[in-house]
Order: sequence, then structure tokens, then C-alpha cells
Amino acid sequence: MMFLQTQGITKEFGKLRAVNQVSLDIRKGDIHAIIGPNGAGKSTYFNLITGYHQATFGKVIFKGEEITHLPAFRRCKHGITRSFQITSIFPKLTVYESVLMGLLVHRGVTLNFFSTSKKFFEEEVYRILEDVGLADQADTLGDSISHGDKKRLELGITLGTEPELLLLDEPTCGMSPEETESTMIFIRKLVEEKGLTILFTEHDMSVVFGIAKRISVLHQGTLIADGKPDEVRANDEVQKIYLGGTA
Amino acid sequence: MMQKHLEKKESILKRGWWLILLILASLLAPFIFTEFYLNILCEALVMSLFALSFNLLFGYMGQLSFGQAAFFGLGGYAVAMLMTKVALNFWLSLLAGPILAALIGLIVGYFCVRLRGIYFSILTLAFGQLIFVIVFKWHNFTGGDDGIQGVFPPDFLKSATVYYYLILLVFLASAFILWRIIHSPFGQTMKAMRENSERTEFLGINIARYQLITFVIAAAFSGLAGAIWVPFYRSVAPGYLTWIKSGEPVMAAILGGSSTFFGPILGMFVMTFFHAYVLGFTHFWPVIMGTLILIIIFLLPGGVLGFIQEKLKERREREKQET
Repeated sequence: MMFLQTQGITKEFGKLRAVNQVSLDIRKGDIHAIIGPNGAGKSTYFNLITGYHQATFGKVIFKGEEITHLPAFRRCKHGITRSFQITSIFPKLTVYESVLMGLLVHRGVTLNFFSTSKKFFEEEVYRILEDVGLADQADTLGDSISHGDKKRLELGITLGTEPELLLLDEPTCGMSPEETESTMIFIRKLVEEKGLTILFTEHDMSVVFGIAKRISVLHQGTLIADGKPDEVRANDEVQKIYLGGTA
Repeated sequence: MMQKHLEKKESILKRGWWLILLILASLLAPFIFTEFYLNILCEALVMSLFALSFNLLFGYMGQLSFGQAAFFGLGGYAVAMLMTKVALNFWLSLLAGPILAALIGLIVGYFCVRLRGIYFSILTLAFGQLIFVIVFKWHNFTGGDDGIQGVFPPDFLKSATVYYYLILLVFLASAFILWRIIHSPFGQTMKAMRENSERTEFLGINIARYQLITFVIAAAFSGLAGAIWVPFYRSVAPGYLTWIKSGEPVMAAILGGSSTFFGPILGMFVMTFFHAYVLGFTHFWPVIMGTLILIIIFLLPGGVLGFIQEKLKERREREKQET
């Protein structure tokens, strides 16, 4: 049984076909990168998997179950969580509360009206905060931390939902080289230690070729290559339209 | 870890002293105030409960309801009609107020929670006015513009002093429940939706459903405020359901600070007492209130309590840095 599968998935916005019949298998435990030039349809493809957009046609199958038409929040319940390209956090919640939120949802206690929310999952929250390196800023508001920390906070929020499949839309965008490095190490650790599957998009090719086990290339909404990093790097078409022959 | 918990407990006692003092003072109020001001105090408490329920939507869920008075009025009408038309027991009638408000809130909310921002506000305003018009026009059922008079509480509650204690009890119990809700996992979800509904949805929250639950809770407590008020005032009129009445909790929340739990209460107390006082020498109350609101918006944009909270936080942080 395939972990995540898209079958001929297509999204049209008016006459524009942003994603064109993309069929792709994502295997459990992989770090899978989706790359492509601007406007290639990477984000739209992400949105089809996470339920931000509904597919015009085609299917999304997760662990043998079709989820093509499920609303976004239900897909999260199935174990799919995402980060956004433009960092999406809770500006006026503390770092602690933000990470707690994911846990409250995932552990199904959000309909508890009478217990104090901060008493829940304190250990788990701190473990995540330590993992993403934000434990010392637990009581700081989300909008008062640095840009790189916000990215890591969003990662922490998504980890609260204890996902099986994590989609990261440009996880190191805007980070310093050191932050990028530590994020890459962290992503690899997530896969190795927690058995997560990661699907991500990224502009920085050193990140892509540094951590991805598989790479799929989109161009104008169409899948043009899919395989191990070396295979993709050697692919003539990819060289021509995307890597500019320099990679 | 243990140390931390103990510190927390201590700080609650330290920071909560004013609350304990206020509750003690409110128990003594009938012995301090004249009957006129005791009546005003009753109104302030009822309206504060109304403002607290409104602020659940405005301050915590991040949506401005401009038709909240419809639920206040419905609660009041439920009590008045049940007591005068079918002579139902006072306590059961009182209970019927929030229940009716919650039921209508469920229907109205079903449509409203699909919208955001100004569209949400306009739709709540439209529903509010629709309910007002139904009550206003349906003369032989609701009494139309005459309203309903002669809504008397049981004999032992007829004195203002005793009824004051009933209002105080209902207010404190409701405020306590609302406080717990705001600090519960559900309350945390409300705040998350306010901060970033997209992020919250993509953690697995059905936004419409959670907003609807909040809407119904707010409607129920608004209904309770209306229900407890009408037997004290002995009558109900359609004016209770209008958009003007809906504006009062909006102003109270802005005045006191919508980002704080106690802000709307402070705002309502200032408005109610100020109103009673100013009316003693001029009818230009709206001009004075308008000026007050302007001053607050320009000088203290977070409201009075919002401003104080900000200052306290700054001071605490300075102290922390110094130690």
C-alpha cells in the first residue's frame, strides 16, 4: 500500500492549468522534495494534498483511503499537517501556547470547556520546544521573535499535531545559513527518530540536494522528472529548463 | 517544577487581592449605597454580564457581533411572556431565557459564522434587527411597542436589596464560568482562531463549528442577562432588542479594553454610573459619552484595562531584567 499517492491530479483556475495530471507516489519515511521554477505549481500541488484547494479532477489517496474531497481540517485528523510559505503563526499567543494548540487539537481535548488549558501536555510542549530550539522563549509572544525563530515555531506548531506526513512549504526560506543548517539536521532527525514522512518545496538547491531522498520536478504544472537526487540531477530536461545546466 | 507551581499560586493570591476586595465590597453594597445607586449597580452588573458574553465573540474569537441585543431581549421576553401569559414559575422562566436565546443563537449563528470581519458584523446586525421587527410588529403575541408590564418576581425577591444579591450571584457564577471557558482548551482554540484562523484550520479545527459553539454560548449568556434584568425592572420593551442596545457592549469593551477579561465590566460600570450621574444635570448624555469614547480611542487604544495591563507588563519585565 502506497503511503501517499496522487493520481492524475489537476487544478484549473479559469483557463490556467496550475497543476496538470500529476501522478506521484510518496513513500513512507522519505524526505521528498518538490522543486520547480516559480509558477511551476509546487504550492498548488501542496494545496491539493492538504485541502487548501479542491482538485478539478484526479485523486489524492492517503494510506489507502481517498481524501480528494475532504475538507482541510479532516485531513489533519488523518495525520497530514503543513507549514505555509509565508510563515503562519499566532502573533498574540505565546510560543508555549502556540505549540500547545497543536497538541490540544491532536489529542482531541479542544471541546473541554472547564479545565485550565496550560495544565495539559506540559512535558510534550517543552519537548517540542527543546527540539526546535525555542524553550528559552516559551513565554514570548509569537510576533516578537526573529524571522528564523518564527519559521521554527511554525514547525513546532505542526509537530504538536503529531503528524505522519508533514508538508513544508519552503522551510528554510529567509533563514541565515546557520539556521538553515540546523533546520536541515532537525528535519533529518524527525524522519530518522520519529518515522515522519516529509514532503517539501525549496528554492535553495543545496538544501534540496542535501537532505532529499527523492526529488520530483514540476514545470508549468506538469511532472517532468521524479527519482533519486542523482537521477534528477542527470536528467537532460531538468538540466535544460530548471538547473540551467550548472548543477 | 514544584517550585514553579508554588510561585504561580502565590502570584495569583498577590495579584487577585483586588478581586477578593471587590467581591467583599459588592456584598456590602446595599448597606453603603442609596436605593437609587443600588438600582444603578444592579443595572451595571446585568449589563456587565451582557458585555462579557459579547466580548467572548469580540475580544476572544475576534468577531464583532452587532446584533447581540437580540439575545438579551429574547431572554427578557422569554421570562416576561412565560411569567405573565402562562404564569410559569419564576425560576423556570429565568432558565428559559438563556435556553431560548441559545436556540435562536444556534439558527442565527449557523449563517453568521460562515462570514468574517465586516460581513459577520453586518449579518448579525441584520438578524438582530429582524428579530426586533418581529417582536415589535407581532402585537398580539409580544405586545408590540407596548412591551410587557407587570413582570413581578416572587414576593421575597421584590425588595431591591434581595434582588440585588440574586443578580450578584448570577453575575459572579456566570463570570466564573466564562473565565473558565476562556482559559480552557476550548478558549485557547477561540484565541487561536482569532489570531490565525487558517493556521488553526490546518491543525485540524473545524472553524465554523467552533465559532458556532462560541456564538451559542455568547447568546445564552446574553439571554441570561436579559432574563435576570426584566423581573427587576418589572417590564420589557422592544427597545431591548435594537441595534442601539447592541452598541452598548461594543462601547463598554472598547472603553474598558476588549483584550482583557475584566475590561468590558469596567467599561460597563463607567458607562452606567456615568450615565446615571450625568442625566442628573443634562440630557446631552450622548455628547459626553461620545467625547469619552474619543478620548479613550486616541489616548488609550487598548482601553483602560488594556493600557494598565500593558504598563504592568512593562514594569514586570523591567524588574525581571534588573534582578
